[in-house]
Amino acid sequence: MSINQSDVEQALAILGAGTRLDILGENADLLRYAESEITAQHSERRLRVRARINRNGRSVAGSLETLDPVAVRALADRLQAALGELPPGTSEAAPAADHSAATPDIPAASSVLESDPAVRHQWFKTVRDGLDSAAMLGGAIRYDVLDRVVADSTGLFRAETLTKASIQAIAKQDGKSASVRIMHRDADQIPVSEIPDRLREALRPLPQVEAHHGTCRVLLKPQAANALIATYGYAVLGANAYATGRSAVSGRLGEKVASELITLVDDGCDPDGLPSGFDAEGNVRRRTPLLENGVLVGVVSDQRRAGLTGGVPTGHAVPDGWRFGGDPVPSHLLLEAGESTEDELLAECGSGLVVNRLDYLRVLHPKETLVTGTTRDATYWAEDGKIVGWHPQMRFTFRMEDVMNAVIGVGAVRERCDQTFMESVVVPSLLIDAGPLTLP
Amino acid sequence: MRDTAEIVLGLLPPDVKYGDIRVIRRTHEQVLVELDGPGEVNYDDSLGLGLRVLIDGQWGFAATHRLDPQGLDAVVAQAVGQARATGGGGHVVLGTPVTTRDTWSSPMDVDPFTVPLSTKLDLLAATVKEAATAGPLVQQIEASMDFYRDEKVFANTEGALIEQTLTESGGGLMVNAGDGNDVQRRSFPQGVPRQIRGQRGDFATAGFEHVLSLGLVENAARVAAEAVELLSAPQCPDEVTTLVAGSNQLAMVLHECAGHPMEADRALGTEASLAGGTYATPERRGNFRWGTPIVSAYADATIPGALGSFKYDDEGTPSQRTQLVKDGIFLGYMSSREYAGALGLESTGQARADGWQRLPLVRMTNICLEPGESSLAEMIDGTKRGILVDINRGFSIDDQRMNFRFQTEIGWEIKDGKVGRMLKNCTYQSDTPTFWGSLDALGGPSEWRVHGVPSCNKGEPLQVAHVGHGTVPGRFRNVQVGR
Repeated sequence: MSINQSDVEQALAILGAGTRLDILGENADLLRYAESEITAQHSERRLRVRARINRNGRSVAGSLETLDPVAVRALADRLQAALGELPPGTSEAAPAADHSAATPDIPAASSVLESDPAVRHQWFKTVRDGLDSAAMLGGAIRYDVLDRVVADSTGLFRAETLTKASIQAIAKQDGKSASVRIMHRDADQIPVSEIPDRLREALRPLPQVEAHHGTCRVLLKPQAANALIATYGYAVLGANAYATGRSAVSGRLGEKVASELITLVDDGCDPDGLPSGFDAEGNVRRRTPLLENGVLVGVVSDQRRAGLTGGVPTGHAVPDGWRFGGDPVPSHLLLEAGESTEDELLAECGSGLVVNRLDYLRVLHPKETLVTGTTRDATYWAEDGKIVGWHPQMRFTFRMEDVMNAVIGVGAVRERCDQTFMESVVVPSLLIDAGPLTLP
Repeated sequence: MRDTAEIVLGLLPPDVKYGDIRVIRRTHEQVLVELDGPGEVNYDDSLGLGLRVLIDGQWGFAATHRLDPQGLDAVVAQAVGQARATGGGGHVVLGTPVTTRDTWSSPMDVDPFTVPLSTKLDLLAATVKEAATAGPLVQQIEASMDFYRDEKVFANTEGALIEQTLTESGGGLMVNAGDGNDVQRRSFPQGVPRQIRGQRGDFATAGFEHVLSLGLVENAARVAAEAVELLSAPQCPDEVTTLVAGSNQLAMVLHECAGHPMEADRALGTEASLAGGTYATPERRGNFRWGTPIVSAYADATIPGALGSFKYDDEGTPSQRTQLVKDGIFLGYMSSREYAGALGLESTGQARADGWQRLPLVRMTNICLEPGESSLAEMIDGTKRGILVDINRGFSIDDQRMNFRFQTEIGWEIKDGKVGRMLKNCTYQSDTPTFWGSLDALGGPSEWRVHGVPSCNKGEPLQVAHVGHGTVPGRFRNVQVGR
């Protein structure tokens, strides 16, 4: 932990009553490659100190890259002046925070803490040299160490160090592409040597089939299911969207909103994901059941919306100035595995589409859960339960609610994924019945 | 900051064949007023440096917030260590050395950081109050303004030393209306992607005068009333028809169909694993029909006041105008020194980084359409049946920047040359050359304006760029619209 507690306490004393600090020490090391060559190696060190002062219903915030007392004092003066300009608050105050729960212990991995650019270089060589000579490799290898502190003027002090290693590998050959993305908090747990075989298998020679039109069964492999589940959770399962009627499931707690094969929880401490113990308000992340056998059983909340989750926030407050909005949203989704092997899912799919990756999935209408997106990298056509050819990339426009209700098979093997707006998503393959996904 | 830059360059070891440093202080002020709150104020201050070195043809980059002697030593060691770890064998060609020494500040009339906070809050509160007159179905109102100042020192081992100060201002309004069954949004002056809080609206490289020019208060009641009216408006029909797009909407289409695809790094495959590739491959340069002969497009970082304007990019290359499409044919790329070198060209001055902590990437500046000879009124008058759409609500495009789907916040029927009923949930889909190949009219010079967009995403780690788009309304025949 590179953030000194006494520096934090000094900053809180300067900023005064009603202050909360959300501090991130970010250490990122990145190797990028394209066309089978390294294009850049990147090392980034920064300290982001976010301060928010709440007094009498008024709220102001600011950020710095330092805990130096002189700079903090200058920010305090500025925030104090701004508070004086704001009119008194009229909105309902958030309930007083209860921080009695212990900070979860999330172990950091030494393999990431002791980052060495030569290791990333070796990973790149392993994948590149394991591919056919005609294949071109692109992607990135990234190590992140995140020192987090959330502290406030009432005595709250939570700290953790999070580690994450990830590799994205996309191989192109004969006009086709296939991708693998693996991440873990411990770099030593990433099976780099297996990646070339996975890519070669995905790029195996198959004929190109004509584009199918109309509806058919669709097998979403884990990286594709990741985009669906993450986007659904972001658009639908936050307490503010639920309470204000903007969620498609508003008012439907206790009702069936998805296939009975769907059981979904948010759990920031589950080691199957990328654990983190508390949110930007310092609320401990609680295991939060969301869908049980398709029935809506919960949403995620922050302090302001804790009333919807039994008076206790679930630990899903987002940071100040977060680029994806200010409302609580899921952060660590885990979809319960089913019992079907990948071969069994393919057999049940019969004749249909196999999608390995859904890209650029964007919400067109959140209330209707209408989204649009494209397939990317390996998209196949199956006949009688066997993959028979490459299918052209295609655009889907669909209602996520329809697709969630049309799940007829869930894979037994889950993959750890992420999104720019979600820390981790752990999902298996999903088999979608013919109907809601129409191929134009 | 200048001293820091010179000290770091002096610390570089002899095997660094090229090095450059950017020391940047970014100041950001955001003021937000909502329907049910007193308002929010946010002040961000970020100071740090990014060092890029080239050793044996391989880049190393390191960035740090620590500007003390230990921090400077560490950042040099990290950048050099990254470059050396690769073991050489790189092929980076940078072209003509950059040796410029200059100081420049972007022009403005009123420094936004000297305007009292109360003035800003009063303007936003008046905007919210006007919007609230639309009635009880209005659920959410956010009026905001944002101001940025980047003080940048750039220096390189070729002798360049450039100090630039850029000031950007912008503001906007977002209204959500809901009736329990449906939720509709209207934004002004332009839409924003997803749920970005603050940083809404139209931005310019200018002072507070730009915010005053937007007419937030004057337009608030109309915009909110439209959000409410959309709740009961009929659904956009599902058909192939004529699409008339306002200049604001065309800004985003141009962004996705011309801006990103014509970035040279993407064309050379370096973004393929991340944001994707492009149809605009080098062998198609000069012979790929991108659109009808009436359409030409260019990138221009010299437009006064436009959000993508500056005097020098983040490699010290002067801002300039670059033709991308001429008479419907794909013609050129935006580039940095490295990617221009790979194409055997000189940089077009579009290397830009999102702050001190990130590597410069090839980024669009101001992507503009050359105006045509028509007008929005003439396009509507000449349309027997179609729809008029404006203000982008959402979009998606494939990794080659071909197949796309856009949704707009608002639309209207066009029947027999007249604008008719309001339509909701208007979407349209096509692919890039088909869509621009169906263009039959463009607005004239009097309708040309630059839209400032502060939310262009690219790269790994993700970088957000501030860009502009000079556009006019356009009419497209035989477009698939609807759900």
